Amino acid sequence: MEVKTSFNDSDMPPLLRIDKLVKRYDRRNLSGAREVLFALDGASFAVARGTTLAIVGESGSGKSTLAFCISCLEQPTSGSIWFEGTDIIGLAESDRRQVRPQIQLIFQDPSNSLNPRWSVEEILLEPLALQGKLTREGMKQRAVTLMVQVGLSPGMFGRLPAQLSGGQRQRLAIARALALEPKLLILDEALSALDCSVQAQIANLLMELQRNLGMTYLFITHDLAMAAHLADEIAVMNRGRIVEQGPAQRVLQHPTEEITKNLISAMPSFDSAARPPLES
Amino acid sequence: MRFFLRRLSHALFVLAGVSILTFLFTTLAPGNYFDEMRLNPQIAPESLAALRAQYQLDRPLPIRYASWVNSVLHGEMGFSFAYNSPVAPILFVRARNTLLLTITATLLAWGIALPLGIWSAERFGRLPDRLLSWATAALLVVPDLALALGLLVLAVRTGWFPTGGMTSLDFASLPLGGKLRDLALHMTLPVVALVLSALPLLIRHVRAAVAEVLDAPFMLAAKGHGIPRRTLLYRYALRAAANPLISLFGFSIGALLSGSLLIEVVMSWPGLGPLLLESILSRDLYVVIGGVLLSTLFLVSGNFLADILLYWADPRIRTESGVR
Amino acid sequence: MSAPRTFVKWLVTLGSLHAIVVGAGFFTPYDPIEQDRKNPYFPPMRLHLVDEQGRLHLRPFVYALKLRAGTFDQYEPDTSQSVPVKFFKSGARYRLLGFVPSRIHLFGSEGTRICLLGTDAYGRDQFSRLLYGGQISLLAGILGAGCTLSIGLCVGAAAGYFGGWRDDALMRVAELFLSLPWLYLLFALRAFLPLSVSPLKAFFLIVAVIGAVGWARPARLVRGVVLSAKERDFVRAARGFGASDLYLLRRHVLPETSSILLTQAAILIPQFVLAEMTLSFLGLGVPEPAPSWGNLLSSLQQYSVLVSYWWMYLPALAMVPFFLGYLGLASSLQERLEPYKIERRIPGSLA
Repeated sequence: MEVKTSFNDSDMPPLLRIDKLVKRYDRRNLSGAREVLFALDGASFAVARGTTLAIVGESGSGKSTLAFCISCLEQPTSGSIWFEGTDIIGLAESDRRQVRPQIQLIFQDPSNSLNPRWSVEEILLEPLALQGKLTREGMKQRAVTLMVQVGLSPGMFGRLPAQLSGGQRQRLAIARALALEPKLLILDEALSALDCSVQAQIANLLMELQRNLGMTYLFITHDLAMAAHLADEIAVMNRGRIVEQGPAQRVLQHPTEEITKNLISAMPSFDSAARPPLES
Repeated sequence: MRFFLRRLSHALFVLAGVSILTFLFTTLAPGNYFDEMRLNPQIAPESLAALRAQYQLDRPLPIRYASWVNSVLHGEMGFSFAYNSPVAPILFVRARNTLLLTITATLLAWGIALPLGIWSAERFGRLPDRLLSWATAALLVVPDLALALGLLVLAVRTGWFPTGGMTSLDFASLPLGGKLRDLALHMTLPVVALVLSALPLLIRHVRAAVAEVLDAPFMLAAKGHGIPRRTLLYRYALRAAANPLISLFGFSIGALLSGSLLIEVVMSWPGLGPLLLESILSRDLYVVIGGVLLSTLFLVSGNFLADILLYWADPRIRTESGVR
Repeated sequence: MSAPRTFVKWLVTLGSLHAIVVGAGFFTPYDPIEQDRKNPYFPPMRLHLVDEQGRLHLRPFVYALKLRAGTFDQYEPDTSQSVPVKFFKSGARYRLLGFVPSRIHLFGSEGTRICLLGTDAYGRDQFSRLLYGGQISLLAGILGAGCTLSIGLCVGAAAGYFGGWRDDALMRVAELFLSLPWLYLLFALRAFLPLSVSPLKAFFLIVAVIGAVGWARPARLVRGVVLSAKERDFVRAARGFGASDLYLLRRHVLPETSSILLTQAAILIPQFVLAEMTLSFLGLGVPEPAPSWGNLLSSLQQYSVLVSYWWMYLPALAMVPFFLGYLGLASSLQERLEPYKIERRIPGSLA
């Protein structure tokens, strides 16, 4: 598999390049026998700066493990992760601390990714406080900016997540992820838990933020239709490997792998060219 | 088979660990425990000398432990200063008596708690269930000590039951039927005290476990298929509730063993309880260790039994490919 | 009644019961150690408002006791001597809450003592001993529970959060402690510690022993909570912002354990009070002359005492209202904090 993006702005190296990433879990099942599970089995792909790559696959194909490895939450067993030209796997902890804020993760379920006991303000301030670069005043200002950016009112600061709607919670999660000005945003099924109309709203918000802030997105989903709408490139994942990668339209219209064809046939509409854009 | 071996080796590990733990407790004694023993007038100097030779009493802990283990393997389990004999024979007689009490109480307690708990769970939230909950709560808040003493008063006032001991003075001369009757009479009060102390918690937990299962979607589906109530209850609900119930069984054995300690002392039942107390007060080291270990053995065996029951009852544990 | 209000109701009830015990100095007329060997085993004196002649008195009174003719240890009321109850009477010195010196007692009398619950073999007032004994027993239970929960929290959090061999090792040790029937473990621990020590030392010794026995079950529960809290996405997110383990534990994971710790406290405190009672009853706990609910009962080991002097049994029941209070508290806590559990599912009562 070629580890290159199709966006061959040849001088521009990809923002993110994954090379033969392997993640192995050793488990013991109930009767004590050892079990080996390869969540990632030599996955390789690349993402060009400022674009959106969608990783599509069924449950159990290793998508979430991929997200965790890239965002430094898990340590891969072998392989390399090149971020802006540096392999972040081999980094010392102090260097990794520099890299971490630049890659942020947005989770699927905002009721799980936001601490239900914390107020909106506390949730937003957390990354800023941990980074420790701003004063208290500076942090509050930034928090207000972030809220406005995602379309929330700063008057909500005192509320608890339970008092927000699903869409508002996910906006809050996005705002929080943006706090440290990341270059790469990994969206792990970030729209899947939302209602249809809300999905469209958030999707459009994401597109807008990408345009304004020049961010790169890694969009992980099992929903090929959504990937078609949002992504520049699509990579198909199966059993811990990337089996196919290419520009979105090409993959949808001329799939080469069996699994891709199965995924496409499961989509509600066949004719992607005639598909109307999602309305918000 | 692997399952059995694993659980068995686990049990053995626990027993070894507990014996080491108990031995470690002896290092808790400030100063030299054995100097204190030397000062104890109840311990004859000759036996002390013999013990020092045999058990290396003033050597460091690992060596003492090793010689104790050696003694266990020889069937002696150390030496009792107070009784001037190896510990094992003393322990086993008492252990038998404690087991008699505890096993009877366990069977009786479960025999009452299981049907009552199920009955209560079926009528969850309705008046009969609430009445039973109140009754169990009332029983739960009375300390075992109060129960045991209260029963003693009952015995003395009414004269229906003997007030202590395991057998009457003329036990040996009774015919077999008389012997059994005598034993049963003596056993009644301690068993009743034990059962009453364990019953409230058991009933509550059985009720909770069964109620949770009865509420599950698959029960509703089975009911919708028209399966008769009896089958529903015994073949469907109980099997699903087997997991928490069997764990509860393991837990109840521990609770009953602990309870029996106090009740034996109060009611003068010649079991491990009074022996343990006596040997603590007279600083009879090896008897204490032996007694504690034996009670652990019972608990561990009970849990082992529970594990095997669980294995038989819950197919999820049997499948090799079950993932944690 | 809605969940928060029953919780408050139980808290208030329990609080009042504890307040009475804490204020034992005020509520009881006499010093608990004060002996009166001329009057052993007095039966409880009953309060009267109406005397033999049928006259109503505004001030309650008791009758002094005289020896029943023909016996040497049976007493009956001497209707010729009525002893009025005086309220807010000055009496023996005591310290309220341990540091406020005072001499005022809620009630008392001149001359003949009022023994509402009778006296023991040394003529000590059982009512006073009951309340003072409650201080010791309850405190032992509460401190013991505090010990146990602290140990359990540390062990459970360490095991659950760090996982790996630490988890295995800690849980194995926990299992060892759980494999011993708890009373046997308690006794084994107590056995090897000095047997005859001063009451204060004995008290702390017992608290330590009780605290060291029961940590395994709370540790397991805490570990369970920590294991699932660790997997929550907000913990992952915080880690992604560069949070240290200590920060994650302190701000995200450990707050999740608060509900289980509270419920465990409500369950463990009565159990530990019972443990102290058992130890003291058998002579392994708080020694004479300091009273505790356990050693108040130790004379009952001879059942002749039990049969002849029934009032000596009463301390056994002293625990009951407290136990009931803690039980109610535990139930209402569970209802409040875990409303999805089946036992709590009463329609319309979800907070």
